[in-house]
Amino acid sequence: MNIPMAVECQGISKIYPHFQLQNVDLSFEQGTVMGLVGPNGAGKSTILRLVMGLLGPDSGSIKVLGNSMPANQVSAKRNIGFISDDMRLYESETIAFHMDFIKSIFNSWDDEYATTLLQRFNLTKQQKVKGLSHGQRVKTTLLLALARRPNLLVFDEPTTGLDPVVRKEVLNEMMSSLEDETRSILFSSHNTLDIEQISDYITFIYGGRIIESRNKEDFLDSWRRLRLINSNSCQLPNLPNIRSIQKSGQLCAVTVTNYEDTTPEKFTNAGFTVDTVERLTLEEIFLSSVHYAERTAKKETIS
Amino acid sequence: MSISIVPQLVKKDLLLWRKMILIFGLANLIAIGILAMLYGRVPSWVFSNLGFSLLIIPGAACGMALLMQTNVFEKVKSTQPFIMSLPVTVKEFTLAKLLVNIPVFTAFWLVMISASFYFCFGLGLFPMGALPFMVMVFLGIFVAYTLILSVSILFQSLGITVIAIMFFEMGTPAYLWTVVYLNPISDYIYGSEAVWNSTALTIVTIQVLVVIFTVSATYFIQSRKRDFI
Repeated sequence: MNIPMAVECQGISKIYPHFQLQNVDLSFEQGTVMGLVGPNGAGKSTILRLVMGLLGPDSGSIKVLGNSMPANQVSAKRNIGFISDDMRLYESETIAFHMDFIKSIFNSWDDEYATTLLQRFNLTKQQKVKGLSHGQRVKTTLLLALARRPNLLVFDEPTTGLDPVVRKEVLNEMMSSLEDETRSILFSSHNTLDIEQISDYITFIYGGRIIESRNKEDFLDSWRRLRLINSNSCQLPNLPNIRSIQKSGQLCAVTVTNYEDTTPEKFTNAGFTVDTVERLTLEEIFLSSVHYAERTAKKETIS
Repeated sequence: MSISIVPQLVKKDLLLWRKMILIFGLANLIAIGILAMLYGRVPSWVFSNLGFSLLIIPGAACGMALLMQTNVFEKVKSTQPFIMSLPVTVKEFTLAKLLVNIPVFTAFWLVMISASFYFCFGLGLFPMGALPFMVMVFLGIFVAYTLILSVSILFQSLGITVIAIMFFEMGTPAYLWTVVYLNPISDYIYGSEAVWNSTALTIVTIQVLVVIFTVSATYFIQSRKRDFI
């Protein structure tokens, strides 16, 4: 069965005086979760804003729920709930004011679900926004996005600055919103734990470029750290999938991507003893990818 | 087909700033009341100077405060991403801002004109010859307002909007002094009848055209913006 795409970005570029988003391809099907991971200034927010039609790409094409962006943004945004770290509500007004405002725009607004979320998040409709804590503010924006029952949720750093309890609540609600199998989520975070917890697909972005994008299971399966013993002072084999090497005396830790069952053998054949083969956490994979991308970028600059 | 949410955006801004608008409206009524009490009790030159200030301040202050809140602070306080995440284009967002600001200021402006004309010409404070000049004065205020509104929408910058307010507020009296020294205007200003000669009509026509052009150009320029936040 052909599953319709939630987001399809092809070759998108956006050029600013001090930053360039270059040739980004990003796609995922409806009913799935795509997590964008990258350091500050990598281009995560720019991608999300392009997806929302808030920015126009300099080149490339973007389709969201079948709508070309930014041309058909009104139609697309009727089915998107967007939360951004830098998004603020009207401080002088109450949560009820914001709920009424959103309800007046979206026919799909679900009063019952909104009330459930208010209770679940321990919020009171009559609370003024200026009196809300950061966590309560995030929960309010999440309520406003979820209660309109959108097909796509776009979250830019939704958990930044939240304490662990509120972070868990927000993530839980994001996950329970996926009970509707046609709903998709695109979200960015520096927090790899959050991404690892709820994503089906993961994209690493660095310096305005996508450095890796694939299914979460493939991601975690394809990376390994091999702890080697080099008793005979041998040379490491020149494998293209080595991402980092750390040496300490006879001990050597090599991080590889595209790991296969035959990979340890290649080191054994080169005279090394393979002590252990470890799986990596998403954070370790991310850091290795970023360091590798940094080194490659420096080499490209020098040459 | 998607239904435009411009009415909801206009209503939202009016609800957000209803207290401020009402306070300035009340101030306007109090100003008119004070002038009604002072009429005939103070010298006419004192009354006209004081009256002009009292009538302009509430409307001008409300106009400036509203455009600051709805255009500049929408960006400064980061409520704009919230609004732009809704099914709205930059063009519709701009239209909503124009439809909030211009009618509110126009309401104050009409009250300002009605009260001024009543005191000046209804009660005979000024001769009717001053009518064309008074029309130019009030149209000048409207021109300055639309230019400031345009700057606030196009740039959404606190600094640039404040500079625009200072520039146009200082520019308006300079423009009025220039107009009043034009012979085809000054020759008839103390006359008993309003004279709408070609100079007066040209100035008024240009003022109206500047207002229409400024509003249209603002809408057009915003419509072509590709990046919004």
